Amino acid sequence: MYVQDILAKAREGERITREEGIELYRHAELLDLAEAANEIRFRKNPGQQVTFVVDTNPNYSNVCTIDCIFCAFYRHPGEEGEYTYTVDHMIGKFKESAGHGVTTVLLQGGVHPSLPFDYYKELVRRTRKEVPEVFPHFFSTSEIIGMAHGAGMSTEQVLRELWDAGLRSLPGGGAEILSDRVKKKISRLKGTSADWAGVMKQAHRIGYKTTATMMYGHLENEEDVVEHLELVRQIQDEGNGFTAFIPWSFKPGNTPLEKIIPHYATPTRYLQMIAFSRLYLDNLPHIQASWFSEGKKTGQMALHFGADDFGGTLQEENVHAAANFVNTTSTEECVRLIHDAGFSAAQRTTLYEILRVIPTAEVAV
Amino acid sequence: MNIRDRKLAPIWDKIQQGQRLTLADGLALYTTQDVIALGRMANEVQQAKSGDAVYFVLNQKIEHTNICVLSCKFCDFAAKKGDERAYEMTTEDVLAKLTPEIREVHITGGMPPDWPWERYLDLVRTIHHRLPEADVKAFTAVEIDFFHKKFRMSIEEVLRQLQAAGLKTMPGGGAEIFSERVRKLLFNQKIGAKGWFDVHSTAHRLGIPTNSTMLYGHVETLEERLIHMIKLRDAQDETGGFLTFIPLAFQPGETGIKPRNMFTSAIDDLKTIAVSRLMLDNFPHIKAYWVMLTEEVTSVALNFGADDIDGTVGGEKIAHDAGATSPTTIAKEKLIQMIRDAGKIPVERDVYYNPIHVYADNVIGKIPYLNSVPFHAHLEKQQFRLLPVVPRRMGVLAAQGELDAGLFSLMDFLRLEDVLEPLGWCIATRDQVKSVMLFSKEGWRDLEGKTIGITDDTATSVQLLRVLLEKKYHVHATFERLHAGVNDCSRFDAVLLIGDEALRHNKAGLDGFELVFDLASEWYEWQKLPFVFAVWAIRKALPEESRRDLAGLLERSLDACGDDFASIAGTHGRRIGLTEAETQEYLEGFNYKLGEREQEAIGVFRRFQAELAASGVGNGDSREG
Repeated sequence: MYVQDILAKAREGERITREEGIELYRHAELLDLAEAANEIRFRKNPGQQVTFVVDTNPNYSNVCTIDCIFCAFYRHPGEEGEYTYTVDHMIGKFKESAGHGVTTVLLQGGVHPSLPFDYYKELVRRTRKEVPEVFPHFFSTSEIIGMAHGAGMSTEQVLRELWDAGLRSLPGGGAEILSDRVKKKISRLKGTSADWAGVMKQAHRIGYKTTATMMYGHLENEEDVVEHLELVRQIQDEGNGFTAFIPWSFKPGNTPLEKIIPHYATPTRYLQMIAFSRLYLDNLPHIQASWFSEGKKTGQMALHFGADDFGGTLQEENVHAAANFVNTTSTEECVRLIHDAGFSAAQRTTLYEILRVIPTAEVAV
Repeated sequence: MNIRDRKLAPIWDKIQQGQRLTLADGLALYTTQDVIALGRMANEVQQAKSGDAVYFVLNQKIEHTNICVLSCKFCDFAAKKGDERAYEMTTEDVLAKLTPEIREVHITGGMPPDWPWERYLDLVRTIHHRLPEADVKAFTAVEIDFFHKKFRMSIEEVLRQLQAAGLKTMPGGGAEIFSERVRKLLFNQKIGAKGWFDVHSTAHRLGIPTNSTMLYGHVETLEERLIHMIKLRDAQDETGGFLTFIPLAFQPGETGIKPRNMFTSAIDDLKTIAVSRLMLDNFPHIKAYWVMLTEEVTSVALNFGADDIDGTVGGEKIAHDAGATSPTTIAKEKLIQMIRDAGKIPVERDVYYNPIHVYADNVIGKIPYLNSVPFHAHLEKQQFRLLPVVPRRMGVLAAQGELDAGLFSLMDFLRLEDVLEPLGWCIATRDQVKSVMLFSKEGWRDLEGKTIGITDDTATSVQLLRVLLEKKYHVHATFERLHAGVNDCSRFDAVLLIGDEALRHNKAGLDGFELVFDLASEWYEWQKLPFVFAVWAIRKALPEESRRDLAGLLERSLDACGDDFASIAGTHGRRIGLTEAETQEYLEGFNYKLGEREQEAIGVFRRFQAELAASGVGNGDSREG
């Protein structure tokens, strides 16, 4: 099947197959992809509007034992520079963030070998109670699996107890590339694609909303990318629990993988990924452009390549920073970047409810 | 193409019909929210001009001094003599920065109060002599105007002396934005539109091609940007001497100018690239200058109408002092990677945009003349990529193994027969051709001992002329190469033109040359044979499958054209001033199938060629590759 036929099919809203996806990813021209992706984007999210969230991305600990070679953030227990904060300390941080208008806290740590499960539940419970302005978006699948191991429980039990403590939303991190061929090489101890999928499915069944992510630009090939998206699409067919898909490129700075992959993937590849995922993930409502991970100008461009969300303001971030990749913004700048890209800016919650719209002039250049 | 913004559809129709865009069209393009449709339109126009190629050059930027008599608000590069930051480079300092692989030396700097004129000439001359491979592109219009006033010479004299010293082209800086309103606000010490155009049109007249720029993202309006483009387009109609247009995103840095934003938005950057590609229909190239535009936007701009990414640059002080986020040097590998990621083919160029190296496989050379359009009009590229290239460069690249197939000039085909395999298609005349013409002041037999200006673009026409002179008319003339762009032809006794240029002058005439000879009909009357100008061939090193694929694709394109050349006439023909009927008649004059009579004609020409070579005629003086 020719690329143009596949694009026409996607435009019609028909699902494209894995083989068609590979063909499209390999051979479609950038702006052909963008044109089709935009059409779908405006069908799903009509209006010249882009959402964003005021959030922060702190970490409760950097202690981790699973040695992913793409990561510059973690430290082993006892290693210089390791830290684990108390629940009191974290609540203090959240309060401060709330004071700055933050509505979402995306919280992750490492996979800590010895923190008791109560620590995590306490974090959730006290956040809901003491900082009701912020919505906890806590713990990646790897941490959920780590908690289950540590407490001798099933992941489902962990998810239920966290739900009871008040958690309603999980970040999609830890997916990297959902292809075991690649996972074995870059994160041998982090679990398989099935592990990630298993936790996500359980979470969606319980009622959680989650995001799905992808980190590309390292050892994956086109087939791995499509395998990843295929799995996300299947999970969504079952539970409809994903709010958004968020791809970002691998940042090699200070990581062991830097020796093999010295540069991060170019903006062109990122835009291709945004447009392609919009077409392949026919059952996801939102595709998030990440000004933070790819650069502000790339983030703006992505809004014309199928993305309808600009991510968060990210008042604190440590993981990319550990790889020497630093980008900062403010709510004001975030709104201006969206306006300058030609859209009204709509502040949203973690679950994509609109809080306020900041309209732009009819035309922004 | 699916255009969401209804305002754009009629503009796209105009573009496809080869019509020129107005200021109002430009505004509609600039204010559209359908950024992707705008990009696709620009990308298609760019592909028609430069195929899949994106050009880069191994260049070194030299800023010989930062001492400047001006104090422009927007510049935080300049210093005053005696400042701690002030510096001046000697010619030896400059040479020390130049490495042997450099092909373009870009020189601009401050305007110091005390440099003598000879120091500038010495700088250009010394680089030219010490690094003959490196061409000098030097001095903005502002600097030329400064020389003119300071050294009390006319602009023309300044340029003539620099040209004699080795200056090849000029950068486009100092244009800023052609608006008196903005000039008074920000650039009141600079020369303004009239001064800038005076310098550039004088340079073009002398055969010095130049670049052009636009500084945007400060206090100018969209109308002012479009008027700027239209002024450049008008000037290009007059002289044809502009090589490229370079939109420069304003970098506020510590300049004290407060634009609305610290940096232009990516969307504004992309729109500016695309709109300029569509407005400047007579400009060969649009440059995405990565140092100013950021790497982020540059890689995407290559799909929004830009076909030029500048080069390795070396040191870029001016943009860097104002806080540009790009690193000062991107290695050639990185430029190549950026171009490949954009789905284009990286082409290393010289200062005139001649391709020197091509970094891609399956590259087909595309001859930019009307007579080869039927091969390309309906060509589905599949695995192949297109590089527009004049016949002469095509031979050079194929000999380097960097071009895999194409319509080779017969001379190149004969020279490269060991590595090339014919594909069964050619450009052969039936009796006349109309696009290989000798414009002459004398009849054939009176050309004995005279000087003929010859086109730089192809070897075959030149050799055909040589064969006609020596073998048919038994006269010997001296050939001298014409340079690309504008030339003063009056000093020649005859001039050989080919391709679209010949077609144009065949219709309009060439001032001062009364007689016009069609070389193909001269040949036909003499030999009663067609003349084969070019042969489609592919490198033998490629798999048999590629040969079959390409032959098939060419046949399909020709079939799709059939006998109806009307659509070609509508676009390409109109561009060079031919009516539909004229284009139709011209194209019907060719035979595209390489048959027995064509093979026979090649044989006859080959024998003449061998005889001339044996007698030592036509080797030294025609100087074609």
